[in-house]
Amino acid sequence: MTVYLLTRVVRWGSGLLLILFVSYAMMFYGAGDPIKRMFLDQEQGSLVLEEDVLEALRKKYGIDQPFPEQFRRYLAKLAVGDLGFSIREKRPVNRMVQVRLPISMQIGVAAVLFMVIVGIPLGVWAALRHNSVVDQFIVGFIVFINAVPIFVITPLLLWFLVVVVGIMDVPYGWKGLFHGQVVLPIIVLSFGAMPTVIRQTRAAMLDTLSQDYIRTARAKGLTSRLVIFRHMLRPVLIPVLTSVGLIMIGLVNGALFIELIFNIPGFGHIAITALRTVDYPVIMATVFIGALIVMVGNMLVDLAYPLLDPRITR
Amino acid sequence: MAATAPSERLTSLSRPEEVARRNLWKEALHRLFLNRLATLGLIVVVLFILAGLVGPYITPYDFLEQEIDNALAKPTAQHWLGTDALGRDILSRLLHGARTAAFVGFFTTAISLLIGIVLGGIAGYVRGLADEFLMWLTDVTMSVPGLLLAMLMNTALKRPIAAWFDDMYIQTKNPFYLDTLWLDFVLVFGALAFISWPGFARLLRGQVLSVRETLYVEAARAIGVDERRILTHYIIPNAIGPIIVIVTAGVGGAITLESGLSFLGIGVQPPNASWGSMLSDSFSLWISFPHLMIIPAATIGVIVFAFTFLGDGLNDALNPRQVIKK
Repeated sequence: MTVYLLTRVVRWGSGLLLILFVSYAMMFYGAGDPIKRMFLDQEQGSLVLEEDVLEALRKKYGIDQPFPEQFRRYLAKLAVGDLGFSIREKRPVNRMVQVRLPISMQIGVAAVLFMVIVGIPLGVWAALRHNSVVDQFIVGFIVFINAVPIFVITPLLLWFLVVVVGIMDVPYGWKGLFHGQVVLPIIVLSFGAMPTVIRQTRAAMLDTLSQDYIRTARAKGLTSRLVIFRHMLRPVLIPVLTSVGLIMIGLVNGALFIELIFNIPGFGHIAITALRTVDYPVIMATVFIGALIVMVGNMLVDLAYPLLDPRITR
Repeated sequence: MAATAPSERLTSLSRPEEVARRNLWKEALHRLFLNRLATLGLIVVVLFILAGLVGPYITPYDFLEQEIDNALAKPTAQHWLGTDALGRDILSRLLHGARTAAFVGFFTTAISLLIGIVLGGIAGYVRGLADEFLMWLTDVTMSVPGLLLAMLMNTALKRPIAAWFDDMYIQTKNPFYLDTLWLDFVLVFGALAFISWPGFARLLRGQVLSVRETLYVEAARAIGVDERRILTHYIIPNAIGPIIVIVTAGVGGAITLESGLSFLGIGVQPPNASWGSMLSDSFSLWISFPHLMIIPAATIGVIVFAFTFLGDGLNDALNPRQVIKK
């Protein structure tokens, strides 16, 4: 058990280190001199400061150091939770993240809840009515939202709801989680990983339904509700749990689109602005946080696994 | 998943006299055409490839030509799909965007497949540590949100490559290096291949691992079939089905990803037309001019669906064992 946990932690920890290394190297060799970028006069296109002043600044921020030394310093700062200093906004990245990340987190958590509350029952229902009209309808729905990307579905849905039906205005901006206009972004965001949840639930449910112990439970005369909740829920939830990584990726990717479309000032918004303006400390921070969210999710699943299914560590 | 009932497929398999007349590929094609949605998908995909190849030559207008006084026109006889905010013909831009999408889909998939064949082949063949390492690398790559990684790659490589092009121009005076239009394409191929190779590598590894261990390969060796014939007549025909399926899905996926990148403003840059940027361009205007948004959105939707259905159909046709198991 200890060996299992240790290998998991090493596996994901080294993975995160690799991602940091690759993205830092890309930015180091690709983004150009950060000091020049910081003090470049946007309108004139000329340097505001003299070259020797720039040199002193480079020294101050340690940008005159070779790559390995800079990367080491970056890691050291990251270890104490310092994400660096934004070139474009000229303030600590931590401050930006502190304000923006919670907004995306709230929407993300709400989307996951929606996914679980809607997705799992739909998957169970489809499996219980295997090959019926209900099943085919649900499977068709999965195929549809799985194929059509979020940036196509959202405008079409908006057009339908706002122009054709006319039941709402275009939701724009962020007015807190409990404001009505956050409903559409949450639903659309949950579409990203909803197919995975429904498909996994349905497949696991079909698999479990044909197990001997279910037949035994039924033969004992248990009610079907009892059979589903007591005997089937656990084996069905394990495969769903496996796809937490995919769900997380769906959320982070989806956040980029919905925050742009609905103009929500969240984490995805920072990422896009930073990439457009080549604000590389912010880009590094977004890649780091994005990867961290997915990897921590994956690792927690790996750690929770043996508790749900003791066969794994054997 | 779609269309034909399993019983229908089984009967198509179980008529021995018919099976005897067809070889493996004709049999697969026959099964594909039994699936109506997959056939429809195939037709759309063929049309899409044709549009990508000849589209820009048959468009009624140049995709950059602007008629400012005729901007935002609804569909008319002159402009079948109307014009956009700059008075550019939408049909022409759509056809030009088909070329962008086809380019990106084809090259991204080709590069990813190449990486997949090399890395997956090595891992499956050598096994041991190399295999462990590859699986770790794919796990790590897949756990970074793909779009962020692609955008990072795109942003980081743009400046050095553009600077390198400028240097090359100063040295050689070759006007080729001034043309930065296709530079964007190369960046997008690279960035997208960078995030989509793990799927290909894993599949290739699995195929190499499973086919080389099969009894019929061993039997062929035992009766003295030479290695080359084993490769061409035993291993490749049996390993290629899933690869065709993943390539089809990969092209569709790459097209979606490229539209997504362009939608976020980081994909193929203007003046090149891309469906994703057409969609994002429509954003402040679509309440009054819905056709600006619906046309590119529907186009992306139809193409993605076509690839999905074709991929599903090919999967059922080429891997019949899986279907029966379902």
